[in-house]
Amino acid sequence: MTDLSKIRNFSIVAHIDHGKSTLADRLLEECKAIDQREMADQILDSMDLERERGITIKARAVRMKYTADDGVTYDLNLIDTPGHVDFNYEVSRSLAACEGAVLVVDASQGVEAQTLANTYLAIDAGLEVVPVINKIDLPAARPAEVKAEIEDIIGVPAEDSPEISAKNGINIRAVLERIVTDVPAPKGDRSAPLQALIFDSQYDSYRGVIVYLRVKEGTIRPGMDVRMMATGAVYKVVEVGTMQPLGLLPTAELGAGEVGYLTASIKTVSDTAVGDTITEAARPAKEALPGYRPVQPMVFSGVYPADGSKYQDLRDALDKLKLNDASFVYEPESSIALGFGFRCGFLGLLHMEIIQERLEREYNLDLITTAPNVVYRITKLDGTVLMVDNPLNYPDPTEIQLAEEPYVKASLMAPQEYVGNIMDLCTSRRGEFQDMVYLDANRVELHYIMPLNEIIYDFFDALKSRTRGYGSLDYVMDEYRPSKLVKLDILLNGDIVDALSFILFADNAYPRARKICEKLKDNIPRQMFEIPVQAAIGGKVIARETIKALRKDVLAKCYGGDITRKKKLLEKQKEGKKRMRTFGTVAVPSEAFMAVLKLDED
Amino acid sequence: MPIRGKKEKTPLGIYIHVPFCRSKCEYCDFYSLGGSRERVLIEGYLDAVCAHIKETAALAPGYKVDTVYFGGGTPSFLGWEGLTRILSEVRRRFDVAAEAEITFEANPDSVTDKLLRRLKAEGFNRISLGVQTDNDDLLKKLGRPHNYRQAVHAVELARAKGFNNISLDLIYGLPGQSLEQWEQTLGHVLELAPEHISCYGLKVEEGTPLWSYRDEANLPDDDTQADMYLSAIRILKEKGYAQYEISNFARRGLRSRHNLKYWTGGEYLGFGPSASSDFAGKRFTAEADLVGYIEGIRQGGAILSECQTLPAGERAGEYLMLRLRTSDGIEAEEYSRRFLLPFEPLQALMEKYYAQDLAVMDSGRWHLTPRGFLVSNTILVELLDAQERSIPLAKRRAY
Repeated sequence: MTDLSKIRNFSIVAHIDHGKSTLADRLLEECKAIDQREMADQILDSMDLERERGITIKARAVRMKYTADDGVTYDLNLIDTPGHVDFNYEVSRSLAACEGAVLVVDASQGVEAQTLANTYLAIDAGLEVVPVINKIDLPAARPAEVKAEIEDIIGVPAEDSPEISAKNGINIRAVLERIVTDVPAPKGDRSAPLQALIFDSQYDSYRGVIVYLRVKEGTIRPGMDVRMMATGAVYKVVEVGTMQPLGLLPTAELGAGEVGYLTASIKTVSDTAVGDTITEAARPAKEALPGYRPVQPMVFSGVYPADGSKYQDLRDALDKLKLNDASFVYEPESSIALGFGFRCGFLGLLHMEIIQERLEREYNLDLITTAPNVVYRITKLDGTVLMVDNPLNYPDPTEIQLAEEPYVKASLMAPQEYVGNIMDLCTSRRGEFQDMVYLDANRVELHYIMPLNEIIYDFFDALKSRTRGYGSLDYVMDEYRPSKLVKLDILLNGDIVDALSFILFADNAYPRARKICEKLKDNIPRQMFEIPVQAAIGGKVIARETIKALRKDVLAKCYGGDITRKKKLLEKQKEGKKRMRTFGTVAVPSEAFMAVLKLDED
Repeated sequence: MPIRGKKEKTPLGIYIHVPFCRSKCEYCDFYSLGGSRERVLIEGYLDAVCAHIKETAALAPGYKVDTVYFGGGTPSFLGWEGLTRILSEVRRRFDVAAEAEITFEANPDSVTDKLLRRLKAEGFNRISLGVQTDNDDLLKKLGRPHNYRQAVHAVELARAKGFNNISLDLIYGLPGQSLEQWEQTLGHVLELAPEHISCYGLKVEEGTPLWSYRDEANLPDDDTQADMYLSAIRILKEKGYAQYEISNFARRGLRSRHNLKYWTGGEYLGFGPSASSDFAGKRFTAEADLVGYIEGIRQGGAILSECQTLPAGERAGEYLMLRLRTSDGIEAEEYSRRFLLPFEPLQALMEKYYAQDLAVMDSGRWHLTPRGFLVSNTILVELLDAQERSIPLAKRRAY
C-alpha cells in the first residue's frame, strides 16, 4: 500500500514543439526510470507517426521513482496528454486524473494559443500549475520576458520558475523538485465505494483492452466485478498494475490516489469511453465523476480504396483502428463514382489526417478521400430534423425550411503586426469578430465566432502563411446557426460525380466552383476526347472548364534497343491507368480528388 | 546438316552499334562517346566487335543475312577503314545475301568523297544522313557538328558516287520552331529528292543537356507537335512518300528492310556496346559500357545483360505494340493463329477507334490512322489491357 503523501500525479502541457516530449524523456532519465541505452528518443510517443510529427496522439502514462532533496522517495505519475485542439476533451480527462500540471513554455516563442487553452483546462480542473521555461540555451531565449508573459497572461506566478533545456538536460532536477513541493498529494478514501476515472485505453491483441485509470475513491483489485457507469458495461477485472517506462507491472491492487491500468478481457475500446467512471458492481458509487461526454465527431469524410478490390482490406483496417480509437466512427457508404467505401467521422482535421495516414502507412492502402464536411442541421418543411453528415443525403432545396451549420468560438494569437492579416482572413471565412486582447506590448489574442466549415478546409495553413508561422489557433464548439447553404455538384462529361459533391455557404459557391473546375482540369490527364468539367447548383451550371482532347502520346523512335524500354513504359502507363477511377468514359486519377481538397486561397 | 542445307535459310538482320561521335548532341540519349578519338579505344572496339561477330556466327548456321545496318553514334566517324573491316568480318562469318540491304548512318560533316567511294566499293548500298533541320541556328543550338549546306553537299556527293538509296533524318518540335518553319524545312529537303525520309518528334529525354533547360527552351507544345506531324504526313504523301511506320516514309519499294524487322518480328543480331538482339526466341542486349564490352570480349566473360526466352504472352503484346507502328498493322487470323488468343476483344476496340477516326481497316488488316499514330500509346494501353484479360483459345477448347 502506497502512502498518499508520497504520490504526485501530474501532466505536462505545452504548445506543439515547445518540448513536452523531450522534457518527459529527461524526467524519466533523471529518475533512472530507464537505462539510457534502452531509451529510444521520446519514449512516450510510441507510434512512428507521433515521432515524425512531434505530436502526441494518444495519452500515455508512466510511473517513476524520484528521491527528492528531502530524502524521501516519491512515486511520480506522469500522464501525457495530446497537444492538439482536436483532442480537447481527451486532454481535459487526462488533466482530471492529476493534481498538477507542468506548463512548458518555449523561452523564445512565449505563450501560444494552445498553451493558453490547455493551461485554462488545467486551471479549470483545479490543478496546480508549475511553469517551466524551456530552450533557454537558444540564442533567442528571453526567459525574463516569457516569465512576465506567463504572469500577465495566465496569472500564474513564474518569477522563480526553473529555466531549463530539456534537449541538453539542463536543470531537469529543479523541475522534479517543483513537482514534489508544489503539486499537492492526491486525496481519497481507499475504503469508499470505487470511483476510477478512465483517461485512456488501448487495445492489446493478447489481453484485450488495457484501460488507463486514476482511482479517485476506493480500491480496485483483480477478481472484482466492475461497471462502466456511462456505457453500463460490466467486466470482471483480470489484472491491475502500474505503467512502467518499458511495460506494465501487475500489482495486488490500486487504491485511491493511484494511477494505473486494468485489464478485464474487454474486446472493444467502445466499452471503455474516456471520461467514464469505473465503479464496483456490487457496491457502486452514488454518482459518476463529473465531466464525461460521449464522443462526438465533428468532421466527416468519405474514405474509399483507390483500388476498388481493396474494400475488404479497408474494412479490416478500420476495424483494427477502431479497436484503439473510440473517438473515430465509420459506417459503410457507397458512391456511384467511387464504389464501396466508408463515411468516417473524426474529432477534427488533424484527427482525420492521422487516421488516413495510418491507414495508408500501417495498412498499406491507397485511399481516395472526399472533401471533409461538418454536420449540417436541416429542418424540412414537414418539421422533421435531419443531421446531414454526407452531401449525398442533402435534401432537395425545395423541401428545406431551415438549414443550420455549426459555429465555433475561435481564439487566435499572434504578434500584433499580423492583426490585419488575421482579421482579413477571418472575415473572408465568415468570422464574426468578438474582441481583441493585448496579451502584452506585442502579442494579441483575437476572438471570433466562425463556422466550423470554414476552418476545416485549409484555415490553419492560411493562418500560418499569413502570420509567418507565428499565428496559433484554438477553437471550441459553440452552437448551430441558420445559414444559406447550397449543394454544389461537379459534372465530368455531363455526368455528376457524386463523390465530388459538397455543401457550402451559398456566397462562396461561385469562387469555389471556379477553383474546383480549374483544379480538376489541371489534374485530370487529357483523354482521347474533349471533356467538359462543370460545377452546378441544382441544375444550373455556374462554372465550366474544358479538358482538351489528347492529341499526342506516342513514342517517335522504336528500333531494336528501344523495344524493351518501350514495353516497360507501356506497362507503367497501364499500371497508372489501373489506379484511375473511371466515371462514365472519363478516367480520373486519385490525385485529382486530393487536389480538390487543397484549394489554395492564394 | 545436309538436310538443313536443303531448306530455305532464315533471314537475319545484323546491327552494328558504333558508339563514337565527334560531339554529343543536346538531345541525344543513345550510348556514344562524344569527342572520343582515342586510337586505343577505337582499335579495341574494332577488335571486340569482330571477335563478337566471329563467336556469335558459329551459333547461327541456317541463317542468311539480308540486311546489315551500321548505326550509332556516328558510324561515318569511324572512317572507311573501320567500317569496311567490320563489314568484311560479317561477310566472312555469315552468309550475306548478294542483294542484302547494307546501310550506314552518317553525319553530313564526316561524309567525304573518299569515304563514299570506298564504302560503295565494299557493297554499302544505303546511306542514312542525319540532317535534322535546314536551320543553321537551330543546328548550332542542338550541338550538331554541321550546317545545312554540308548536308546538301553530302547528298550531292552520295548521288555522284552512285548511291541510289538515300535516307534523310529530320526532327520536328525543335526549340522555337513554328509549323511554318517546319513545312519550309520539308520543302527544302524534298528538293534533294531522297528515297526515304524519317521524321522524328523531338522528345526531351531525362539526362540529356536539353532536359536541364527544357523549360527555357521555348519548345513547341504537344498540340503544335501534333500539327507538325500531320502536316508532314500530308506533304510527304503529296510528293509520293508513303508512310509505312509512325516516323518513316519511303518511295515505293524503298522502305528500310532492316528497320522493318524490328516492327514485324524479324530476327536480328546486334554487335557493339548496348546493341540489342532478337534471336532464336530470345531478346538480349550487350553490355552498354564500351570498356566493359571490350574487356568482356577479350576475357571471354559475359557481355549480354539480359537473355531469356520470351513467353508467348509477351510476344503477343509485342505484336500489337510493334505491328501497330506500321501501316501494315495487324490481322485477326494471323494474330489468333500465332498466339492462340481471341481477336474479338481487340476487334471491338479497333471498331471504336474507327469511329473516332483513329484506326481503319485496309484489305483485311487494321492499322492506325495518322491521328491514331499520334495517340498510339494510349491506344496500346487499352489494347494490351484487353489482351491481358482475354481467355486463350486453347483453354476455351478444353472446356
